[in-house]
Amino acid sequence: MGEQAFSNLKVIDCTEGVAGPYCTKLLADFGAEVIKVEKPEEGDVARGMGPFLKDEPHPEKSGTFFYLNTNKKSVTLNLKSETGVKIFKELVREADLLIENFGPETTSKLGLSYEIFREVNPRLIMTSISPYGQTGPYREYKATNLTVYGLGGAMYTMRPGTNPADRPVVEGGLQADYSAGLLSFIATVAALINQTRSNRGTWIDISAMECMASTLTMHFGEYSYIGLSRKTNPWAIHGYPIGYSSPCKDGWISLTPGIGGAPNIALLIGKPELQDDPLLAKPSARMAEPEKFDALIVPWLKEHDKWEIAKEAQELRLAFTPVLSPGELQNDEQLKAREFFAKTNHPMMGEVTYSGAPAKLSESPWRAGRAPLLGEHNEEIYGRLGYSKEDLIRMREEGVI
Amino acid sequence: MAYKLLEGIRILDLAMVFAGPICSRMLDTLGAEVIKVESATRPDVFTRANVYPENEPGEEPWNRGSFFHSINAGKYGISLNMGSEEGREIFKRLVKISDAVVENFSPRVMENWGLGYEELKKIKPDLIMVSMSGLGHYGPLRDFYMYVPGMEGMSGLTYNTGYPDQPPLLSGHAYGDWTLGATGAAVLLTALYYRQTTGKGQYIDVAGREAVISHLGEIIMDYTLNGRERMRCGNYHSSMAPHGCYRCKGNDEWINISVENDEQWRKFCKAIGDPAWTEDERFTDDLSRWRHREELDRLVEAWTIQHDHYEAMKILQEAGVPAGAVLNMKEMHLDSHLVERGFFEVIDHGQGVGKRPIPKSMPAKFSDVEDFVPKRAPRFGQDNEYVFCDLLGMPKDELKRLEEEKVIGGTPTFPPGRPTRIDLIEKQGAGWFDPDYLSELRKKYGIDIGQKKPG
Repeated sequence: MGEQAFSNLKVIDCTEGVAGPYCTKLLADFGAEVIKVEKPEEGDVARGMGPFLKDEPHPEKSGTFFYLNTNKKSVTLNLKSETGVKIFKELVREADLLIENFGPETTSKLGLSYEIFREVNPRLIMTSISPYGQTGPYREYKATNLTVYGLGGAMYTMRPGTNPADRPVVEGGLQADYSAGLLSFIATVAALINQTRSNRGTWIDISAMECMASTLTMHFGEYSYIGLSRKTNPWAIHGYPIGYSSPCKDGWISLTPGIGGAPNIALLIGKPELQDDPLLAKPSARMAEPEKFDALIVPWLKEHDKWEIAKEAQELRLAFTPVLSPGELQNDEQLKAREFFAKTNHPMMGEVTYSGAPAKLSESPWRAGRAPLLGEHNEEIYGRLGYSKEDLIRMREEGVI
Repeated sequence: MAYKLLEGIRILDLAMVFAGPICSRMLDTLGAEVIKVESATRPDVFTRANVYPENEPGEEPWNRGSFFHSINAGKYGISLNMGSEEGREIFKRLVKISDAVVENFSPRVMENWGLGYEELKKIKPDLIMVSMSGLGHYGPLRDFYMYVPGMEGMSGLTYNTGYPDQPPLLSGHAYGDWTLGATGAAVLLTALYYRQTTGKGQYIDVAGREAVISHLGEIIMDYTLNGRERMRCGNYHSSMAPHGCYRCKGNDEWINISVENDEQWRKFCKAIGDPAWTEDERFTDDLSRWRHREELDRLVEAWTIQHDHYEAMKILQEAGVPAGAVLNMKEMHLDSHLVERGFFEVIDHGQGVGKRPIPKSMPAKFSDVEDFVPKRAPRFGQDNEYVFCDLLGMPKDELKRLEEEKVIGGTPTFPPGRPTRIDLIEKQGAGWFDPDYLSELRKKYGIDIGQKKPG
């Protein structure tokens, strides 16, 4: 293995919450020096987001903050003070990349525009992440993961194929935030590749609403080609159900009778005589007569464990897979063999286990690491800019850092 | 001067269906040249075979499918029979002039063809190769056969999606496929950056399930820190209330509202006219609102039901409360914000399809960078001549021979084109049909949308 991909890269990170920090986490985990600029005293809002270690709310014990800020360095800086803005520009001058999620209103209020930064650093890339983008009628609207998910069109599709009349439901976790963070990373690295070739910078405007919408790969075409607005997953194109959860002995199993070896369901449930029964042989039959189909298969499922069902089904080339809980992942043989989960020590949290590399790179590795304490790297980073310990004490008293 | 970010980067794309093609589509949007490889015996059937213009499969249905048009816009398309010895030799010549190979076959396929990374590296020492699969290319379960339900279901996402009294729910929008494809693009670019600074290529193994788990950071940590198994809880949040999806006045109209703190709560109350119930002590602070969230939801919905969803959003947003209409596919296409920012780009698919708005797959805006609309998705084998003659320098009669010997070209093996069963979808209540969709789209995207002129 070689060095880390971004080991020569300096990033100033003015993001907080989830989307921006996920983008800069990826940069840091692949080797960049990411200097996270936090508000003095309170820091990133994610420091106040659960889960906390042992459910004890504490700014250095948030699991959300930990996961999203691994391998970063933290400095505190008050961007509302004149000295703060001056120091900030000194940081930006030395950086390859600035990432921020202030929102269009604040950026202009604080005088933190791309034009100003480009004067101090002509090759700067600046990535601006906001819920709706820097332009357009919604640009100053407020947002959370939930509201972006709905405005991005994804929520409308979130109803079970078996009961589409339901109230739409948001995807688990914070997917509008994570998808915006991932796309911000992609756009930023593409700009970095160009920067190393041409020394040109650029200002990148990312809208989380558009990021969410861009994850819909099928539904838009259904409207613009045939006038359809679908309320469920589109797999039921010709009436096939795919990937619905059925109860089994120890939880849930995800069934996909619509594809491929559906007739083998008869073999799976030990009733080979039913192999030619249209109910099992025809993929669309389950949709047409769900009660009959379930009456045939669910009693068998309920007598078997999810892994037992999945492994037997896989032998028969049926794409049946277990529905796993977060805890079950910890003992999953495949994830263990691939050493997916990472472990790192943290001064306040002890040994922490968390999701590791999103992919395995053979040459430029991912690294485990911990999140920084608030302002942990003030001395190192400001020292590098030439500020003495006395300067730092004075700035602390003045509320600058 | 305008330029493209990934100018001069060539991606050889063997990927099919969703995840892989989503990855290479993003790279195209960023300025790379993507060559999509299909063959007459193995065309990209699923996306080519569905949702035809005006629901008519027509002549050559494989060139008319909307999913294919959307996910493969901008790419060059060739037909090359990888099952033949000569086909694989030509593929190797293409590898020599490319920067990266993207594939999402099941593990072993590339190796069985003698096209594993170690082999390809001999031809192109700094090659980047990205393999995308469900559970990854090594490990005891690497051969598990799965689609998006496996990637989402085995990650903890499905377990955390849906209502507590209903089964765990698969995403409606193939989120696992998208996450795998986007993660593939992210690490491919990471490797390109690394190659730029060191001259070294590499092999990358992306597992869809692991990509999805990476998006569940805090859910996983509630287990590792506290031993708590988080599970589906509808639209509830672990601390905010109200936080939900509320019914509005129209048919199947909904609005999401999430009140993050007491200050927003006061703004919310004022915006809905300070009804007496908002004074109730059950709702005075964050914690007590959260404790009484079911009752709160009923009261909030009594207000939302009086308004249509856009109107309710406007009222609440003007007061500074996070609220967002739940937009359907028609509303997304017509939404003033998305239209102003150009989220949908009009692409001309030519004869039989015409111009259609196609969503961006990489919706970032870059200053000073060329803002181009991608070419239409390739018709089957349309760029054989460009790729084999112009790029590889084959004489044209060689092309003819290869066609005769079925190494390239041919008519794709394709099921009879079937219209979408709109009747079935409506019967199941799984969607609804808007007969005026073309005239609606024409209002925003030009009067020639959907006009099937030759071209």
